[in-house]
Amino acid sequence: MSSMSSWGGGANSGSGEGLANRADASAGAALPEDGPNPSRSNSRSEPWPISTLNAKIKGYVDKLGYIWVEGELAKVSGGNGRLFAELRDLQIENVVQVHSWNPAGLEPGLAQGDRVVALIKPEFWPKNGKLSMGIQEMRKVGLGDLLERIHRLRMQMAAEGLTQVKQPLPFLPNCIGLITGKDSDAEKDVLQNARLRWPEVNFKVVHTLVQGEKAAPQIIAAIKQLDADPEVDVIIVARGGGAFGDLLVFSDEGVVRAAAATTKPIVSAIGHENDNPVLDDVADLRASTPTDAAKRVVPDVVDERRKLGEAIARIERSMMAFVSGQESFIAQLRSRPVLANPYAFVDSLNEDVLRTRQSLRERFAVLLDQGVLTLDHLKTQVRSLSPQQTLDRGYSVVRKPDGSVISDASNVKSGQKLAIRLAKGEIDATAD
Amino acid sequence: MTAKDKNSDIASLSYEAAREELVQVVASLEAGSVTLEESMALWERGEALAARCEEWLGAARSKLNAAIEAKGAAAAKTDAKND
Repeated sequence: MSSMSSWGGGANSGSGEGLANRADASAGAALPEDGPNPSRSNSRSEPWPISTLNAKIKGYVDKLGYIWVEGELAKVSGGNGRLFAELRDLQIENVVQVHSWNPAGLEPGLAQGDRVVALIKPEFWPKNGKLSMGIQEMRKVGLGDLLERIHRLRMQMAAEGLTQVKQPLPFLPNCIGLITGKDSDAEKDVLQNARLRWPEVNFKVVHTLVQGEKAAPQIIAAIKQLDADPEVDVIIVARGGGAFGDLLVFSDEGVVRAAAATTKPIVSAIGHENDNPVLDDVADLRASTPTDAAKRVVPDVVDERRKLGEAIARIERSMMAFVSGQESFIAQLRSRPVLANPYAFVDSLNEDVLRTRQSLRERFAVLLDQGVLTLDHLKTQVRSLSPQQTLDRGYSVVRKPDGSVISDASNVKSGQKLAIRLAKGEIDATAD
Repeated sequence: MTAKDKNSDIASLSYEAAREELVQVVASLEAGSVTLEESMALWERGEALAARCEEWLGAARSKLNAAIEAKGAAAAKTDAKND
């Protein structure tokens, strides 16, 4: 690329030619120089002269024709209708040299840093090998254009369905990714409010620019970095209040698409309540302010802990009540006589036994006495019927061996065996 | 089968089951319409059932107390930390 200093310096041989070429180019006529045949073969043995090379380049460049571009003006110089400057890409470090001789096409008062839209014609000068962009028309990008463009982007995002998908936020985030300006109020608000609600919350903060044309790539990089980080499970993009122009970066298509593409839920906390960059539409949660974001991402853990404590206390109380209730019930059962004093029924049974035994004995005694009585009685009877007393007085009883008593002598024959019962003892005899 | 064997099943009873049976044992003993041998058996079983229930409740109470003390200790620790 030709360096600025050489270009901007003294009379520039190439400029005169630029005028002539422009007229022809628009008419599409053939090249003034009858340059060598452009389709000549080319190799180490058949190298091209520079003129052929330049002619080739010029051919390609001319094919580009007129192009509308957008960028930021820098290093503006020149005067009385002539303008030399650089045009910078809004996001990526890319720049081209631009020049203009036709003041009519230029909006007055263009200055360093203006964001512009321009109609240019890339031109290549074979004579000095310079490439430059001739400006046909250039004007600042007005507020209207910006709003119009933001609106179009918003519609586009909605059309692509990127505004409907709302991921739920984790109730208790493991680690919160925070993208915000270094030492900004937004950063303080988010961190302070989060810690008030949950002292142990942890953050991964990525500081970026939050306005101006260099901010977008930094924010996009930060979003990608945090989205890839396994520990982070929610991302907050926070910025304090600012003028419309300051918040533009949060309606930048690159930033918005990066936010929409995150796998993790992302929270947009840009400016104040009434600021509504396109980022809000694609975010999973739109917080009105950085403080609001902290409140909605971090649960009030202090409060949760209190409620938890109460719940546990209630559980303990009801358990205690249940256990003591049951204990008294069991105690009451245990105190029942049949268990507390088992001897009772044993004793009562024992008494039954004693009583029965007692009555048994008594009855038995009675029977015994009766038995004795009847025995005596029988004994006297036997004794009174018995011939013993008669025998004692000297009588005796004669019987046959068969026991029959002999009361008539005539029945006895001689030699008859006889048994004679005396008072004491018995004699065996034979009748003569 | 000695009394201990007969009542060995009690160890596996749930608290509610043991309590229910204890209630029945007391009822039948109070009705008194059982033989001596049965009364002795019932009485022994009643004792075993009651002991089992008290075991359940004692365990529950000690677990509860332990939990509460642990919490108390933890709270004390954090209080100490916060002082």
